[in-house]
Amino acid sequence: MIKVDDKQLPWSENMTLSSVLKTLDSVDLCAVVRLNGKLVSSPNFDKTPIENNAEIQLLPLVAGG
Amino acid sequence: MGRLHLKEIKSISYEHADVKKGYTDQSLRINLDATDIIITPIEEKVKKTFIGGKGYDLWMMWNAVSGSTKWNDPENAICISSGPLGGTPGYPGGGKSIVTSISPLTGAPIDSNVGGYFGPYKKFSGFDVIQVDGKAKKDTIIFIDGIENTITLFESENLPTDAYELSDILTRHFDKDKPINVSVVTTGPGAANTFFGCLNFSWWDAGRKRVRYKQAGRGGIGTVFADKKIKAIVARCGTISMKTNNPADFEGLKRVTKTHAKEIHDLDPKQNRMSLVGTTHLVPIMNDHDCLPVHNFKFGSHPESRVIGEETYEHLFDKGFDGCWKGCTVACSHGVKDFSPVTGPYRGQTVFVDGPEYETIAGCGANLGIFDAHTILEINFYCDAYGLDTISVGTSLGFVMECFENNLITTKHTGGMALNFGNRFNALTLIHQMATGEGFGAIIGKGVRRMKAIFAQEFGADMAFMQDIGMESKGLEFSEYITKESLAQQGGYGLALKGPQHDEAWLIFLDMVHNFMPTFENKAEALHWFPMFRTWFGLCGLCKLPWNDIVPEDNKTMPEPAKVAKHVGWYADFFSAVTGRKTGPDDLISMSESVYNFQRVFNLKMGFGTREYDTLPYRAMGPVTVEEYESRQERYDKQLKEKYGLQITDMSAKEKVAVLRQKREEQYELLKDAVYERRGWNNNGIPTLETIQRLGIDFPDVVELLKKNGAT
Repeated sequence: MIKVDDKQLPWSENMTLSSVLKTLDSVDLCAVVRLNGKLVSSPNFDKTPIENNAEIQLLPLVAGG
Repeated sequence: MGRLHLKEIKSISYEHADVKKGYTDQSLRINLDATDIIITPIEEKVKKTFIGGKGYDLWMMWNAVSGSTKWNDPENAICISSGPLGGTPGYPGGGKSIVTSISPLTGAPIDSNVGGYFGPYKKFSGFDVIQVDGKAKKDTIIFIDGIENTITLFESENLPTDAYELSDILTRHFDKDKPINVSVVTTGPGAANTFFGCLNFSWWDAGRKRVRYKQAGRGGIGTVFADKKIKAIVARCGTISMKTNNPADFEGLKRVTKTHAKEIHDLDPKQNRMSLVGTTHLVPIMNDHDCLPVHNFKFGSHPESRVIGEETYEHLFDKGFDGCWKGCTVACSHGVKDFSPVTGPYRGQTVFVDGPEYETIAGCGANLGIFDAHTILEINFYCDAYGLDTISVGTSLGFVMECFENNLITTKHTGGMALNFGNRFNALTLIHQMATGEGFGAIIGKGVRRMKAIFAQEFGADMAFMQDIGMESKGLEFSEYITKESLAQQGGYGLALKGPQHDEAWLIFLDMVHNFMPTFENKAEALHWFPMFRTWFGLCGLCKLPWNDIVPEDNKTMPEPAKVAKHVGWYADFFSAVTGRKTGPDDLISMSESVYNFQRVFNLKMGFGTREYDTLPYRAMGPVTVEEYESRQERYDKQLKEKYGLQITDMSAKEKVAVLRQKREEQYELLKDAVYERRGWNNNGIPTLETIQRLGIDFPDVVELLKKNGAT
């Protein structure tokens, strides 16, 4: 299982951040997540693998300084 | 009163004006030429039109200066105001001050929004806004004592020159038993020797038992402060509670304050973690999206940037409460204790560094090719102590380094220093020189615009190339975002009233990453709504971070999530509760629109404020050089082929740079047309008479000025 915000989702092999986000609603404005506490930005979503038991937090729209 | 010996030159007692619904309805003017201290009621019409904060500042400034006033003329004023909501303990971001003056860099009004306790302390001492004009003959301290109800001017000698030590001494001097009652505004020696001096606004950190600082950085107000020989402005004020603003609806204020504060408390740990890392999380995010300025804004990312982001600074920041206002749950003003500089007058000592924030890391780190967290801390510390704006310092040094690497300047001009990107010790040497006004640092302290002229006229450097790479607009150095791929943010910088600072609009992600505004009309609408709403924070004495850096969990399902409608509603409730003026979200935009347009007219009064001044260096729009183009060739080639339908197979890289430039510059001009129309301005960027009438700013002198400039 993986955890996205407060929701548990099943884990599968070859899962990437992009594939996880495709299963979620209202993620159009998600350009950055925290994966196990580390920031990952949208240009890297495709190439970021998701391990079992991963914890993902979807960050809000980046609003600048 | 402590160990200092200050010579009193003028003192008055005054009757304390009670705060009613967020306002004292009084202004304080101090004229340093005549040592006059003048207290004046604020008219209802002014209150209704200008709201407070930046609005009050601009109104005072408008009446203080003429169209020919220069930054160092005695009549130039420094105005400081909080706003009707400022000084609400516990409301996140509820203690800001807004400072204005005629800028040494731009020649036009500049405004800077800053934390620390001064703004609320000044208001609760009896004054919504203060104006300081004239010039003192000797170093002067202005002391507003809201406990004893006195205002005193002191002459001072032999005080420390740097802000770091000076604020501490004055805080302890003016209330040694309760230093938390004191807030001090100071600058440092660099302000007198450069055009981008900043002001440090202090508060007493009760947990650490030390003075802390935030900076009113932009536009050189510290330089005006030093030119007037103001050593410090000090406010002293007693206990503050949520009732001190005497709100119209206390229960309503409690309710909205508690709601917003709780949301920040609950959600910040799940979102940007600003209470732990400040704004340092933006470093890796900007880097990953190619928006982090690297090597004078030439590139948008660098592999070494990871070591100057949140993962490093979270470990360096001292743990503890870091709110720059009482009870703020964002609490993002972090600092590093026991830091030991390796250069300069504090070399080998241990100091507390207030910062760094994203802008300082990006500008004084990545933009200079310096990927060393400790060097950035040292630059941050000395800029604060010397009273220098870290953004202008970083952007100016980046320009110099690129000029050096292109042989536009050489060691012959720099006093023998090699100024390649990454040369951290020479960067620090230049900052020490800026503080003393010596060496090549004295030239850098004049800012990018003046440097371009000096390099061309005195060193024979290529002016056209410097115009392309010198990151200034209207005379102000850029803040620290790459805008090449976001036309909307190019407008956010180029159309900003005071110059390229992102506090009017930050649209990069909405535009570039999410493509939420594909048409010119979409972009123009964003360049109307966002600057207007962001202006409102400056009218009321608030910080914008709690609006959209921590958002409700259901925000992403809202029709326009970027506006964070729930929070806008809370701000309207906040305004209603304090002032008693029944206010809805749309009213907040109307309030700002009046002041925003007034500032545009003010620019016109000072000889600017038309289309020709809303320009950008080409580097803000696209690749200046073949090297830049080729570094992102796939992206640019794709645009030329797919967006513009060009056949590029036989084009050289140089030809591709030229044709892309032509296209992008055309787009920017079209954007200006669309934004002017949306804002109710004519094609020359001047508000129409109909617009100023609608907004209630059709004062006779405004109408006359507009007519003189062709407005109909």
